[in-house]
Amino acid sequence: MDSKKEYSKPGEFKPMDLLACAAAREVQDGEIVFAGTGLPMLAIMVAQHTQAPTAVCIYESGSIDGKPIDLPTSVADARCSYQAAVADGLTDVFGQLQSGKVDLAYLGGAEVDLYGNVNCTFMGGPTGKRLTGSGGNSDIHSLAKRSVLIMPQFGQKRRFVERVSYITSPGWKIPHWPDKEWVPKREVYGPAFNGGPSAVISDMGVYRFDENGEMYLDTVHPGFTAEDCRENCSFDLNISRVKGETLTPTYEELDLLYKTIDPEGIIMK
Amino acid sequence: MARPKIVSLTEAVGQINDGDMLTFGGFTVWRRPMAAIYELIRQKKRNLHLVEVNGGTHDDMLVGAGCVGIWESSWCGHELYGKFGSNLARKIEKGEILYEDWAHIHVLNRLTAGAKGLPFLPTYAAMGSDMLNPENDNLGKAGLRDGSNPHIGKYKYVMYKEPFTDSEIVLVPAANPDWCITHVQMVGAEGTVRVDGLKFSDLEVIKASKHNIIIAEKVVSEEYLRREPTRNMLPGYLVDYIVELPWGAHPTGLYGVHEPDGEFIANFFKATRTQEGFDKWADEWIFGVKDFQEYLSKLGITRLEPLKANPSLGYSSTLKRGSR
Repeated sequence: MDSKKEYSKPGEFKPMDLLACAAAREVQDGEIVFAGTGLPMLAIMVAQHTQAPTAVCIYESGSIDGKPIDLPTSVADARCSYQAAVADGLTDVFGQLQSGKVDLAYLGGAEVDLYGNVNCTFMGGPTGKRLTGSGGNSDIHSLAKRSVLIMPQFGQKRRFVERVSYITSPGWKIPHWPDKEWVPKREVYGPAFNGGPSAVISDMGVYRFDENGEMYLDTVHPGFTAEDCRENCSFDLNISRVKGETLTPTYEELDLLYKTIDPEGIIMK
Repeated sequence: MARPKIVSLTEAVGQINDGDMLTFGGFTVWRRPMAAIYELIRQKKRNLHLVEVNGGTHDDMLVGAGCVGIWESSWCGHELYGKFGSNLARKIEKGEILYEDWAHIHVLNRLTAGAKGLPFLPTYAAMGSDMLNPENDNLGKAGLRDGSNPHIGKYKYVMYKEPFTDSEIVLVPAANPDWCITHVQMVGAEGTVRVDGLKFSDLEVIKASKHNIIIAEKVVSEEYLRREPTRNMLPGYLVDYIVELPWGAHPTGLYGVHEPDGEFIANFFKATRTQEGFDKWADEWIFGVKDFQEYLSKLGITRLEPLKANPSLGYSSTLKRGSR
């Protein structure tokens, strides 16, 4: 066996490395992937270098299938367009998203809830702490076939809540406006329903959603227990389905992150 | 055919009135008309109504300087150079500004409708989000949906059962800003506009707007641009004013010309966590210089030089960006 394909041992990787590699493993070869600034960019690039060489990356600024040789620092960075198939604009890529062409999207957020609703507008609702607002997060979470959230969790249980205090981006169960009745996403979106959140990857574990659209713990990162994960949620997390430990980064993936994708140390410090 | 006027930045920005609705070309921290932002602040414009597909460093500056009465957009931040727009966040938290939150597609559709002469466009985006919660219709709550302001619709949006498949869809009203200010690489003397790199939502925001100011790194001959019309974005009759101003997008980036000045933006973010901090920053970088030329001199060649793009890549190959 190629030693580079071996999994690294605890102490040989940082939480950020595991986050990026666990996210990268969500990509299947040939998929059309929307990625945002930061960790999502690293994840799609790791995937393209490993199990998904023909996955296509779209940035919401309008860059399609770029082959960046230097890590972009934003989705509109000139580096995103290097060797791209198309460098157009938002109408094109958001139109493709709405018409169901996007298989997978990576997103972040300040809060996520039991149903995969995401908040990146206000902590504590509209009278609380103001954040950036939705950006593309809401459109992408609404309309991609699958979305994967990358979120910090350890010591921040207020980020994993039963109900987010402001729904920026709709999950599996959402209010129907203007009557405020909570219903499954499929009912609200009708023919435009493409899918929804499929995983949340934190610095403690990987979470997925069951047939009722409720979050459960799938794998727990090395160094933590399922109980640790539950204690770092503000709701009664379902840990009955946990499969075991999250696979650690391989030596090849670590090399890719530090030597090929981010040799300048912009994100992988 | 009307021809655009080539004017100074002071003259172009001087045409904008207090209370006007504005939008801008570019995306987050790329290709923003920053020199015009500084000039709007210097000319002490007030009660501006911003409508933007997404915001960035530029609108946070305008908000910090007290130029903005209403902010309608999906986002305000500085990408990796700062977590969020501090000035906007502070004023929203203190109830000092009117704002309306939207998703990208909502604002994009509002401006696309405006560009096409339609009253609205539909979308499925962000259904079930609190942006569409009637309790969060802030302009409505402020009593501004009474028809007295031509830029504010009777409703924030309408949930509509469309007749073809009976599915529910969101209708968002057209937006037609009074002004769009766009920074580009090149414009012809008669106003033909060429943009290199990503086009973002420039076509929609420019065409939706009643008046356009195009600020360019270089004004070139029309004949040069018309040798390759497929590379051009806009005809000159859509442009009202042209300003030639190299580096006018600093500290944001310009594809093929220069990088964003990340350190400058990060320092802005750090400085503006308080209003006093912003005021001090503005005293140094906006009011402390006579005009954009003096601003560039203050920045200095040794700061600007490493930002310049390598023509083979479209971006700088010498700028130190990370920790290694």
